Amino acid sequence: MSESPGNVQGSLAALYESLQTSVLQLFTDPTQLSPGQAVLVAASALFVGAVVWTCCGGQRRTKVKLRAEFTPGKIYYHVPPPVKAIPCLTPFGMKLETYLRMADIPYEPMYGRSMGPKGKIPWIEYNGEAMADSGLIMEFLNREKGVDLNRTLSDADKAVSRAFTKMVEENTYWGLGWYRWIDNFDQLHHLFEVPWVVTFFLWYVRGNIRRTLWAHGIGRHSKEDIEGIMEKDLRAISTFLGTKPYLMGDEPTEVDAAVFGQLSELCWANHDSYLHRIVTVDCPNLQAYCSRIKDRYWSDWDQLTKKTKKDQ
Amino acid sequence: VYYHAPPPVKAIPCLTPFGMKLETYLRMADIPYEPMYGRSMGPKGKIPWIEYNGEAMGDSGFIMEFLNREKGVDLNQTLSDADKAVGRAFTKMVEENTYWYEGYQLQYCKLHVDNFDQLQDLFELPWAVMFFLRSVRGKIRQTMWGHGLGRHSKDEQEGIIEKDLRAISSFLGTKPYLMGDEPTEVDAAVFGQLSELCWANHDSYLHRIVTVDCPNLQAYCSRIKDRYWSDWDQLTKKTKKDQ
Repeated sequence: MSESPGNVQGSLAALYESLQTSVLQLFTDPTQLSPGQAVLVAASALFVGAVVWTCCGGQRRTKVKLRAEFTPGKIYYHVPPPVKAIPCLTPFGMKLETYLRMADIPYEPMYGRSMGPKGKIPWIEYNGEAMADSGLIMEFLNREKGVDLNRTLSDADKAVSRAFTKMVEENTYWGLGWYRWIDNFDQLHHLFEVPWVVTFFLWYVRGNIRRTLWAHGIGRHSKEDIEGIMEKDLRAISTFLGTKPYLMGDEPTEVDAAVFGQLSELCWANHDSYLHRIVTVDCPNLQAYCSRIKDRYWSDWDQLTKKTKKDQ
Repeated sequence: VYYHAPPPVKAIPCLTPFGMKLETYLRMADIPYEPMYGRSMGPKGKIPWIEYNGEAMGDSGFIMEFLNREKGVDLNQTLSDADKAVGRAFTKMVEENTYWYEGYQLQYCKLHVDNFDQLQDLFELPWAVMFFLRSVRGKIRQTMWGHGLGRHSKDEQEGIIEKDLRAISSFLGTKPYLMGDEPTEVDAAVFGQLSELCWANHDSYLHRIVTVDCPNLQAYCSRIKDRYWSDWDQLTKKTKKDQ
């Protein structure tokens, strides 16, 4: 039976509209969802999930697409594009880019959503090779470019800064993930500045993150316990910082890149939250510290965050 | 305090570093407890856990905070606020980063065919249970992937953990305990992790770092063992293997 294109288009539009209504219904009052709507939403979710899984890959080493032509010695820095709130939504992106600026290493930002060789972002291309993990990238660039932001530190101080880096990246980071994806999920698509359709994809990622948090251990705690853990981390950083301009003294070192990476997300991408209040009101030296690093190394912050998709 | 943990094995009184940490803390704080050896999981699905006044509690960190309040204990009382912050940072590093060496060990070293019998010796389980451990290995691999550490190659993982150990060694220096002359809470946490490396992981690359490259770590572990675990030999001798 052949249908005229007009009919197909009309029924597709009707389908799209009923899908839109169903999704909104799902998120506002799921109990009122009719069976037909539920089936429609479930089918669409499965379809989107399948597409996304094939594109983004499951648990395997991701094959990344590298540039055919590259300038030797130049760093191509892959991250998601800036949003209104902050130049980079991943704390490790903020960390790596702050490090590059601290070390005066020139780089070319390649905004996009491709995942790196280990399935994570940020990642870089250097001399035709892809490299992942902000920590390993920093070590590599230290050797390659002869940089040492920690040269003024004693061995014991370097040990302390490693400890703080690990605490903030392996503990506070997961609290941030829980906070953003589990506790305040409804704010997420505003923050990410994506159309509502992508909410399906975000829902799928959220399930993944919940499982990861459970496996990690921190996801097994109650909301109050997780907030308590994060608060203690933040207060520890604040106490250790004290009245110093930077964590280890008068000049910034590598740990400042890492801590700023995590704290910047709290300062600027998490308004009206309990944790935001700790960073700004309870421990004002943390806010001052973040602003200090922002003013020194991110003078183009406003330009980066203004030119976002939202304005286009 | 009814303290639930897996039973001691020949190598070490408790195979989970958090169990060593919690029990060391109880001994440091002089809190009497009754060990209930078994394999039951706690309220959050992990071990160790305790029962206190009819309630179950999980997570060694929370248990320590609770008992600090309940029993009026403060092992950190001699420390300044900044030192307490440093102690927390080292605790988190050793528990959220170095801890994953266990996953690394299981993944690369122990559960390979040639090391299978070593693992069986360590856990002291009948061979039939070893097949079950294969599925645990898959789960651990998934967990490590999700965590991030499992995405690195073997050399990279070793490098990360080695740097952690060297950092602890540098910070310890010639001090008897991490924060000075007397043990504090962070020593319980660090000893918890390092004791597994010292005594339950022979002939491994990481074992060599703790004993040969950074001998102050081995001395530190022995110091805490001698002070708080005088019954170590009795606990580890009375294992199923001898029965």
